[in-house]
Amino acid sequence: MAKPPEPIEEVMPQAAWVVEAVVKEVLATGPTPAKPANAQPGATSVGYATASQTVKLTITNVLKGEKAAELVVEKPVGSYSLKAGNKGPFLIDSTKTILGRYGPDSWNLERVKSAVK
Amino acid sequence: MPIRFNDTKLGSLYTNFEAQKRTNPNLKLGQEQVLQLVALVGDGNRGWSASKIATELAKPGVSRDAQIALVKGGMTANEKKDLAAILDQGTVPLDPSAKQFLEAVLDRSSPQPPPPPPPATSGLAVTGDQKNGLTGTTKAGATIEAINISTAPGGRLHMDDTSVIGKADANGQFNMAKLTGDQAMREGDLIRMRARYADGSTSDWLTVKATGIAAKDTSNATVALFRIGMTDAGGGKVAVSNINASRQVSEPGAQLEFTTKRTGEKARVTITETGGFPDGFKLNGKPGDSFAVAASDGVNNTAFTETVGNVTVPGGTASTTDLIPDPALHKDELDGAGKPRFSKTNFTGPLFIDGAKPEDVQQGQIGDCYFPAAMAAIAKANPDAINNLVKDNGDGTYTVTFKQKDWASGRFKDVAIKVDGDLYVRSYGGALYGHSSNSSDPKKMELWFPLVEKAYAQWKGSYNEIGNGGHSSNVFEAVLGKDGQDMYVSTGNLDRVFDTIKKAVDAKQPVAAGTYGESEEARYTNSGVYADHAYSILGYEQVGSEKFVIMRNPWGESEPAGNGANDGIFKLKLSELGKLYQNLMYTN
Repeated sequence: MAKPPEPIEEVMPQAAWVVEAVVKEVLATGPTPAKPANAQPGATSVGYATASQTVKLTITNVLKGEKAAELVVEKPVGSYSLKAGNKGPFLIDSTKTILGRYGPDSWNLERVKSAVK
Repeated sequence: MPIRFNDTKLGSLYTNFEAQKRTNPNLKLGQEQVLQLVALVGDGNRGWSASKIATELAKPGVSRDAQIALVKGGMTANEKKDLAAILDQGTVPLDPSAKQFLEAVLDRSSPQPPPPPPPATSGLAVTGDQKNGLTGTTKAGATIEAINISTAPGGRLHMDDTSVIGKADANGQFNMAKLTGDQAMREGDLIRMRARYADGSTSDWLTVKATGIAAKDTSNATVALFRIGMTDAGGGKVAVSNINASRQVSEPGAQLEFTTKRTGEKARVTITETGGFPDGFKLNGKPGDSFAVAASDGVNNTAFTETVGNVTVPGGTASTTDLIPDPALHKDELDGAGKPRFSKTNFTGPLFIDGAKPEDVQQGQIGDCYFPAAMAAIAKANPDAINNLVKDNGDGTYTVTFKQKDWASGRFKDVAIKVDGDLYVRSYGGALYGHSSNSSDPKKMELWFPLVEKAYAQWKGSYNEIGNGGHSSNVFEAVLGKDGQDMYVSTGNLDRVFDTIKKAVDAKQPVAAGTYGESEEARYTNSGVYADHAYSILGYEQVGSEKFVIMRNPWGESEPAGNGANDGIFKLKLSELGKLYQNLMYTN
């Protein structure tokens, strides 16, 4: 569902960690979500959902939260998928779930750094 | 005498307990409630969130002593004062164990008499006027933090989101301390400030009314209309609240006047010290009623003749002042009972500023990317088509004339849709759905795009009907009255794709492109292009044998790296287009 990312000001208060990280490994993938009803071929913003994933992140910089070298986190069912090598700023809540509609592509690093301040 | 809290979140929670006590006189705060309170103070020095502290406090096996140590370790001097005030002056009784817990947090080994009154000086004093900035005294070496709480309601600032504006010298003197940018002091503005000492503790808050800056205070109180929540309270009453209580509706002490458009009845309220409404504030009214809001800071607009906008009570049938019934919200914006989670505000800005431009278009929180992508493409290729699409009727309504194909005759006929300027708004401001890039202010935002989107939703039935995917080519048809076309894109037909784009751009016809959806999302992560999404095509370039397409994300931001300002506009190699996009949408 190609809605814009949520306003970072709404998401940041839920973030226990804000880190720059690289996906080291996808450890597990959840069941494939059902297709949206009446999805038309070639249409956009149909709302296809991707499976949840459990991924291991290698942390390169901690902007907020306790220091860690690696974190195993959950990518919820949503609008994007992760694979090894994907990187970017990750906002992670206290249950170790990645926040933001597009995970590391939700907001650029500059904006994330500004919101952490 | 209500407690004056330094920590606004703590104050908000305690005020909530006080409100509960009014309906439940037997209410006593137990350990659970006290842990909620101390979780809000334990965050101060440590950089943890309140939820993080709450999680740590509630972990199995954490002893009472460990809880106390956790809270004390993160508590600032001001927060300590707040807890002491709850203990000594609070109106909601504490049960014995909760009271002992708080006493332990405050290092009181046994019940204490009420503390002596605070010292005559707060640790910070301001002298003179503010012609050259803020001048005053505090402890030597302290930094001076301040926020302009007269301008803050227009932004996203909390009342304690201060900026450091100066530092006291060895004698404790500071001078010429100034706020800048949107926070710059104007005559009559309220400046909330405090000193932060070398040990991290702070002085009490001090609020100063700026003087000496100009001959006259000409800046009225700013009102964050979008934070005014109205709900049906039953019995002909409407409850009015600040729907984002951590931020201000207006400056403390300002008066707001509400005029019920249906009856003409007027009511005034004074904004509280925390920038919101007094608890339990209600107006006479019912669902669907619309209220005109006027404000005065006591100097400007004292007759309340100039209004800042309208707020409508969600639900019910539209009042007589709602010029046109509005399309219903998308289902994602309804609560469990099917009622709207967002209210509406009447937008009165200009229909066009310098005509229609692709940069005007900003997709909102709705899955209709194909619509803004199409409108931005039309604005680029044929802005006159948009200038002719929507007309201001001069009475608060606008007519948008779409084209609908009569399949029997093959001809397009006009479908005129009339809308007003009411748009759903977010809790922190600005339109929820499609909006314009120039401003989020209801009085300034350029209206053509949000109104055309609203009219499209009205025509199709609701925002839900347009917010679950579609084709930009259908929007081209609806605006231009020309048959839309879709062409599948692959790495094998790129010459034909480029030729189609070139012909359309040269003929001033709109083009858009859509990315893949199902099962293809992983290819997009980190690419700067998003899955299941539509993009406007604004142009093309050819450098030698290399071909490029100029594209725009309808979010007005988020694009592949290396494309300059983050404005959503980017240049993509044709080969990349072939990999990332599944179809091209254009008109015959």
